[in-house]
Amino acid sequence: MDIEIFPHRLLNTDTAERLLNDLDGLKGIKRMVIQGPRLSQEESPEHRTMILKGEEVTIQVKPGRILMEIDSEEVIEEIREKCEENLPFGYNIHVGRFIRKQKTVSDTLKYGEKLEEVSEEMVGLTDQNAQLSERAKVLKRKKEE
Amino acid sequence: MAKFYPGTTKVAQNRSNFMDPDYNLEKLREVSDEGVVNILGHRAPGEEYPSAHPPLEEMDEPDDPIRELVEPLDGAKAGDRVRYIQFTDSMYFAPAHPFVRSRSYVCRFRGADAGTLSGRQILETRERDLEKYSKELLETEWFDPARSGIRGKTVHGHSLRLDENGMMFDMLRRLMLNKDTGVVEAVKNQIGDELDEPVPLGEPLDEETLKNKTTIYRKDGEAYRDDKDAVEICQRIHVLRSQGGFYPE
Repeated sequence: MDIEIFPHRLLNTDTAERLLNDLDGLKGIKRMVIQGPRLSQEESPEHRTMILKGEEVTIQVKPGRILMEIDSEEVIEEIREKCEENLPFGYNIHVGRFIRKQKTVSDTLKYGEKLEEVSEEMVGLTDQNAQLSERAKVLKRKKEE
Repeated sequence: MAKFYPGTTKVAQNRSNFMDPDYNLEKLREVSDEGVVNILGHRAPGEEYPSAHPPLEEMDEPDDPIRELVEPLDGAKAGDRVRYIQFTDSMYFAPAHPFVRSRSYVCRFRGADAGTLSGRQILETRERDLEKYSKELLETEWFDPARSGIRGKTVHGHSLRLDENGMMFDMLRRLMLNKDTGVVEAVKNQIGDELDEPVPLGEPLDEETLKNKTTIYRKDGEAYRDDKDAVEICQRIHVLRSQGGFYPE
């Protein structure tokens, strides 16, 4: 199932970084998408990089919503706790279907025969009109003990 | 006394205040003349006004009674170019909004042309008059540095959530909140060109003041439906317009 965290303000990179790193500690979150209005290509004074899992990630958008695929409804309560800590200005959590799960005809047109090489995990994570490498960065999950 | 806007709420009163040319709007901040010229970005400060035509006195104009009746603007007399200033007002309790701006501009600013769109509002007039009007627009209640933006292009942001520091989203980041001083500074002009020196625009107004000064009906502020008088007038206009347009054979 999917949920959407909808903060009542557009997030700073720092707040988003803190929230995402906190959420990373939770089990039961499969994938996450950061969605929001695009930042200008020009050098902006607000730093555009976040450190997630020790890796530097450059963001293209101002974090406005965080979409996630989760295992079960129980995770929502834990996510809510993390949100309380990091989003003092308020937020909503919506349950629904926010991330595309299936490969589509557009994908076939875009990737052709190589579509099979695109992993299921990447489906729905990026902007349809952008190159995959431009908008997605794969962070390796630590090996489960 | 002329009635400018129906309604009994604070929002209605604020709207009337903007439209009433005899009402003195409160001055909230100082912006230097040079700062205004820099933000507009149409000419360098101190530079002569470029002209579109020779001064009217030197022009051989045809006889026309209207020309005798209407005193031209200073800018028109001197033959200035027509230039613009454009504002974006956040839906989060900005002091003004496009329609109020347009209605008020035509009441207050002589010789100015106003253009209204959903998220932005443009004022066009002769350059030296524009600078005079712009100064008034930036210094008085029209403007709040956090919830209003001076945006010649890339205006997107009026309906977006605010940034964490309370500023309206601006992709080009023209107005920046200085964390040390708490003052908003214009670091780029209205079309996003970098300024040599930032222009201070004062501190953002607090939420309570904004809710008092706003001209926007909102459910979490003053709802339009609660303003019985305004709704009644609006409905009356709709009914009369429909009946006036209905012409049975």
